[in-house]
Amino acid sequence: MRIIFYFLALLAGAALSFEGGIYAELGKTIGKLETSFYNFFMGSIIMGLIWLFFGKGRLTYTLEAPKWSLLGGALGVVYLTSIVVSVPFVGVGITMVAVIIGQLAMSMIIEHFGWLGSKKNRINKEKVFAVISMIIALILIN
Amino acid sequence: MGFFMILFTLIGGITLSAQSSINGTLSQKAGTIETTFLTFLTGTMFLTILILFFGSGNILALLDAPKWQLSAAFLGTMYLLLTIMAVPKIGVIAANIAGIAGQLIIGIIIDHFGWFNSLVIEFDLKRAFALLFMLISLYFIYKGNKRLNIETNTKTI
Repeated sequence: MRIIFYFLALLAGAALSFEGGIYAELGKTIGKLETSFYNFFMGSIIMGLIWLFFGKGRLTYTLEAPKWSLLGGALGVVYLTSIVVSVPFVGVGITMVAVIIGQLAMSMIIEHFGWLGSKKNRINKEKVFAVISMIIALILIN
Repeated sequence: MGFFMILFTLIGGITLSAQSSINGTLSQKAGTIETTFLTFLTGTMFLTILILFFGSGNILALLDAPKWQLSAAFLGTMYLLLTIMAVPKIGVIAANIAGIAGQLIIGIIIDHFGWFNSLVIEFDLKRAFALLFMLISLYFIYKGNKRLNIETNTKTI
């Protein structure tokens, strides 16, 4: 059952790549920051509709939730902006490697210490091997 | 300048990981759809301010842009929604590794065929090995998580 969620995460990454390829084209005509804005703006509309029809959770919880747990959107903007700014200086290849290494290192730390409300899971040797294999894959691609 | 940029991009990756765990946490109480909605909504607010001060493009050109380019917004929504679903179930590392693998696999395919006017980079032996290492990585993360689950289950028994 749990394996389905691995496929969903794979699919999420696949969507991100397609998105990146298409937005690169859109960015040439309307501008990069504007493309990010378009993504978030349209996303709000799409999710707003989905929420109206299918939302089963509790949106009002956001008013009671600890403020740090509301920072997801702001962090997404930092991520997008960092990519937009650095690609012209160091190229797509190095940018992606740096982003992914930052992402992997941070996930290890978050999960090991159980930060940001995530379930605390000690790092084991399988996870270290997984990260090393991913870094080798990255080097081979570039 | 290059070094500074790489550092900046590293921070970008760090924020992406932090985002997936923060959203995973919020979604457990507020709901998956609600969390995704909120992330887009607050992101839009921040970007509105950024664009007003630093935007140098032409947002109105959106109306003339080809529709297939505009449809990427559905992919962006799918990415966030699926990530928020996966993190609470399989953890931050597994969700990120699987996400990266999906990203690189499709990236290799897009490069090979030169879709979306991208540079054509053909699939070669080096990239085949890269694919192999990605699969190894996914296998390890799956196995590592499975062992962890067995350990926690035996403890509760």
